[in-house]
Amino acid sequence: MTREHFSPQLRPGELPVPEFPEESEFDVVVVGGGPNGLMTAAYLARAGLRTLVVERRHEIGGGLATEEVLFPGYYSNVHAVYHMMTDYMPLLQDFDLTKHGLTFVVPNAQTAAVYPDGQSLVLCRQIEDTKDSIAKFSRTDSRNFGKVMRTWRRVVDELIAPATYIPPMPPVDMIEAFERTEIGREGLRLTEMSPIEILDEVFTDDRVKAAFLYMACMWGLDPNESGLGFMVPLLIDRGLNKGLCYGGSHKLAGCLSREILKAGGYILDNSEVTRIIMEDGCAVGVEAFDGRQIRAKAVASSLDPHSNFLRLIDQEQSDPNLVRRADEWEWDKWSFFTATAALREAPSYRADDPWVDKAFMVLLGCDSTDAVLSHWERVLAGELGPELVGHATTESRFDPTLARVSDGSPHPWAEETPQPPASRHHVAFLQMHAPYDLAGGWKERHDGLVSEALEFWGRYALNVTADNILISSGESPVDIERRLPNMVRGSIKHGDYNPLQMGAFRPGEDCEAGRTTIEGLYLCGSSSYPGGLITGGPGYIAANSIAEDLGVEKWWRPTTKMSRYIEAYVD
Amino acid sequence: MEERFDFVIVGGGHNGTTMAAYLAKSGASVCVLESRPECGGGQENTEPVPGFRIDPHATYLYGGAAPGFEQLELGKYGFRFVPYRSMFGLVTSDAAVNMGGRWDRGIGEESLGRVAPPGQGDAMRLFQVLEGEPTLEFLRSMFWTPPHPANLDLEPADLPWAQTMRKHLGQLFSERFLEMSLVELFDESGTWEPVAVANSFAAWYCGAHPAWEGQALPSLGGLMLVGYSSGSPRGGMHTYAHSIIRCALAHGARIITNSTVEEIVVQNGRAVGVTMTDDASVSEKTIWADKGVISAVDVTQTFQSLIGRRHMDAGFAQRIDDINFKGGSLYVLSVVCRELPRFHDDPNSFPDETYPSCIVWPSDSWENFFKQTEDVYSRKAVPKIEKEHLTMMLCTHDVYDTTRSPDGYRIISPIYVQIPPTHYDVSGPAGLNQMKEDFTKAVLELLAEGAPNMTGDNIVDVFVNTPYDSEFRNPGMIAGNWYGIRQSEDQWFMNRPLPELARYRTPIDGLYLCNHTSHPGGLCLMAVPYNLMHILIEDELVEPGDWWYSSPWYIPESGKRPATKA
Ligand SMILES: Cc1cc2nc3c(=O)[nH]c(=O)nc-3n(C[C@H](O)[C@H](O)[C@H](O)COP(=O)(O)OP(=O)(O)OC[C@H]3O[C@@H](n4cnc5c(N)ncnc54)[C@H](O)[C@@H]3O)c2cc1C
Ligand SMILES: Cc1cc2nc3c(=O)[nH]c(=O)nc-3n(C[C@H](O)[C@H](O)[C@H](O)COP(=O)(O)OP(=O)(O)OC[C@H]3O[C@@H](n4cnc5c(N)ncnc54)[C@H](O)[C@@H]3O)c2cc1C
Repeated sequence: MTREHFSPQLRPGELPVPEFPEESEFDVVVVGGGPNGLMTAAYLARAGLRTLVVERRHEIGGGLATEEVLFPGYYSNVHAVYHMMTDYMPLLQDFDLTKHGLTFVVPNAQTAAVYPDGQSLVLCRQIEDTKDSIAKFSRTDSRNFGKVMRTWRRVVDELIAPATYIPPMPPVDMIEAFERTEIGREGLRLTEMSPIEILDEVFTDDRVKAAFLYMACMWGLDPNESGLGFMVPLLIDRGLNKGLCYGGSHKLAGCLSREILKAGGYILDNSEVTRIIMEDGCAVGVEAFDGRQIRAKAVASSLDPHSNFLRLIDQEQSDPNLVRRADEWEWDKWSFFTATAALREAPSYRADDPWVDKAFMVLLGCDSTDAVLSHWERVLAGELGPELVGHATTESRFDPTLARVSDGSPHPWAEETPQPPASRHHVAFLQMHAPYDLAGGWKERHDGLVSEALEFWGRYALNVTADNILISSGESPVDIERRLPNMVRGSIKHGDYNPLQMGAFRPGEDCEAGRTTIEGLYLCGSSSYPGGLITGGPGYIAANSIAEDLGVEKWWRPTTKMSRYIEAYVD
Repeated sequence: MEERFDFVIVGGGHNGTTMAAYLAKSGASVCVLESRPECGGGQENTEPVPGFRIDPHATYLYGGAAPGFEQLELGKYGFRFVPYRSMFGLVTSDAAVNMGGRWDRGIGEESLGRVAPPGQGDAMRLFQVLEGEPTLEFLRSMFWTPPHPANLDLEPADLPWAQTMRKHLGQLFSERFLEMSLVELFDESGTWEPVAVANSFAAWYCGAHPAWEGQALPSLGGLMLVGYSSGSPRGGMHTYAHSIIRCALAHGARIITNSTVEEIVVQNGRAVGVTMTDDASVSEKTIWADKGVISAVDVTQTFQSLIGRRHMDAGFAQRIDDINFKGGSLYVLSVVCRELPRFHDDPNSFPDETYPSCIVWPSDSWENFFKQTEDVYSRKAVPKIEKEHLTMMLCTHDVYDTTRSPDGYRIISPIYVQIPPTHYDVSGPAGLNQMKEDFTKAVLELLAEGAPNMTGDNIVDVFVNTPYDSEFRNPGMIAGNWYGIRQSEDQWFMNRPLPELARYRTPIDGLYLCNHTSHPGGLCLMAVPYNLMHILIEDELVEPGDWWYSSPWYIPESGKRPATKA
């Protein structure tokens, strides 16, 4: 069924209230108000450019979404929860977002794995705590981990993390540059290895290895593929430094919007962009679904390649190379299925280490490397289960403001009879890798899989039971795509991580530092270098290029770590 | 580090954020503290299932006549409006009437002509007489004018809205008219019963009880507010909130979420700042206010909890305790379905292109009406689930605003049923939630009785928030009451929430009230802050620029600087 817009034809000026103009002009228009789009806009607005963010949804934030899916009364972070780059994002140095109430909680107990026999492994931000826990399984592994982390920390700190915010070098140049230092050479060596090979070098105990394998590949690396091995230290080190955005991940989006507005920028939500306006082969503006036209010197899109090059730009007027690239684009290997629950009591795990309950992320079903690998194989084959593997987080343990409901009255002072002290409820989720094309269909299996997931969770956290669960819900890859259609097939990173779609190849060789072969068109989202997740990389890099091209002074400077990297490898 | 602002605003709901925009635009430094992860208060939309946006609270634009749209330039900050071809319809056990709306009067005339007995009067014509400018003036005199100073003795006929009524509708105006209830007005004009009943329901949902004496005009005022715009903000009420919030931010206001205020700090009889609960998202939990603390949360919480008895005498405290929450507690359902309700199984009962955005069902007789209103106003009550006690307001925006749900689906949200306030439930406030399942079932059964297609596969999902749920979701909404406290003559205009608080000032120096528990009451009108601006100017705390204009009916406090532009 298609629907028309049935509004009567009112004469201009007849509307009771003034509206956002039908036609407007800006210096920069950003398509999509996800983390990257907002960052680009925040930098550029403060640089004095008249900037507008146009967002399809009723809320900005994209993957920074904190929603009341457990309605009524419980908020959860339906997309990004784990913020891994807070130590490196130039954004957090360049803007004082704490004054808007932004703060990240980085628990020491980061990732725990619980096993059916009640044993557990707790991986911590503090390396020595992690070593203590690994030692329960293997003294050798504990020692190896301590050693390897001394190198990996440097690989991350000196190489990969700062490079996240610097345009990528072509592979040949990069190899030449990295050859210059010992750490660079280690980075190159790891690149040529697969995640499994890298972990085989370090760990002997299969359970320990399984936990690290899950951490290294949970965001979409192929466990057996070489070429992106440098990401293993990154994802493990960052996986041990995850932060939770207090007040909900959406708060980061809210803080960015505050900076955009304060600097004179604008935001227009509920406005799906349906066309990038092209004139003489150049992008000159955008048109929204309601016909509103916004013209701009620079159009920065944070969308996926299909939206950009197959839908929004008339292909006749586009660069055939970009169209081809979009046609060939590979979506994420897998997406997520998340079962979320409001609970009277926080999940309490049956485990030999009390820190498990305090851990930010708890791995379930990671009992062996085989278990983890076959889980991914099943997902790639379009199956979820019967054996499940996943990770759980009790968000309200670190952020009580998400659960609005408690036992006992919200207004004890307004009661005729005194009420017992209120105890707040909790929100928690269990997330699993999942195929977009699920055998049997998502619609048919959705509810059943929520029950299976909760039952599976209850085997490890014995109080996750029907009595304790107040409301539950599930979000499948299809739901993800429905919320954010640019996450095509549930692609949380807007496209697969494979050697042909990473580095200087993301999204394509002719796109450099967020620029495209179409004049006036820039890319600032996850389908550009360095890729997906809440890194702020694509948004920051595009902001730099646009500021340079529009000839405004950059009010920001690279971080110290970036400067060191540039000195050692780029110049 | 010590945090200081000119003004600290408690609560980032509709009125708190609008106040912040007004103050920030006037050049003051302002900080808003909001308890929830998102500002907007009752002005909210949520997406419990991806792609489906529901209205748990506010749903229609009543504020179209607000000076705020112009003064705060909300269009610049993204405000857009969708006019609806048909706003209102009603269904009885054998008829469906499409009343149309401001943007297409023909629909109503045609439909009424077909169904209603010929030659009957129609009290609704009253406000159709007032189109355009006169309506604007009438509404502004009623809602966008601060109550006049208490020491002034005004004749009822000189009240601002009586003045505008005399001006535009002199022939209708009389002493007797001022004493009438809306029901009497309908009776007198011989309005066809189902139409009178539906409009009475609508008036009741817009504020004043239509059977209260002397309230005919205020009751109509609520209807006129919604009729004036006959539509809603594109994307829902929360996008209207966004435009307000963004205006405030653009003018430098600080707005901090996830920060619950637990105390208003009073020193030497003066409000000087606030403290937040330990879980607030900022590090320094006390924030100081040099010029004023503005409480944009309900009056009950403000005094009973944030100020506390330490700063109130027993007499005042008793008066606060006695503030009445009756009426306005809405049980809210949202239904995701595949096709819109087809009443009496007739696909043409309401065709899609003119589907009434709001439908009253069943609207047969005054019997329905009084059964329900009496339940709602009884004390120590339990919501009745017998059909003859239930009437629902069924709202959908989906036909006119395509951003609310994906193609192939419809969303009916909200469906309102008014019930007794939770606080007066015999088994305590939580009692209501124990009957949630039964009550929801009863409402859905009644819906299916009217529209048989609202069953089985056509219903994809149902979301419910009871008034008790609403209290948790929004700690400022006691009893889930949409106008905070009863909108009766004893708590309206000069008496709202108490006569001594009516001009937004309080017995505590530096503490002002800016919530829908003050005049003119509930609805997202930007009116409380607009009115309060007059008072803050009088108290020489703000000096707005050339964009400011005051209400033409505003009467300054003697001895103060008037808020009128020189
Ligand atoms: C379930 C899930 C869990 C995740 N967990 C994590 C995690 O823990 N840690 C982490 O770092 N990352 C996580 N991610 C990934 C992360 O959310 C994304 O990689 C990130 O949000 C990408 O940011 P972006 O700005 O590039 O794009 P997006 O966040 O996708 O934003 C794009 C924006 O564009 C808008 N848009 C789409 N089409 C249009 C149009 N036509 N016109 C206008 N606007 C449009 C969208 O509504 C959206 O707001 C998760 C994602 C999902 C789905
Ligand atoms: C079911 C329902 C239907 C409605 N329908 C409509 C409609 O169709 N159209 C319309 O215009 N209006 C409608 N309204 C009314 C409208 O929503 C309210 O009148 C309006 O939101 C009142 O604004 P406010 O700012 O006074 O209070 P609120 O919007 O309630 O805002 C108060 C804010 O303060 C916060 N708060 C509370 N306590 C604290 C604290 N201690 N510290 C910090 N923050 C705190 C709350 O979280 C909230 O955000 C409806 C309301 C309801 C409940």
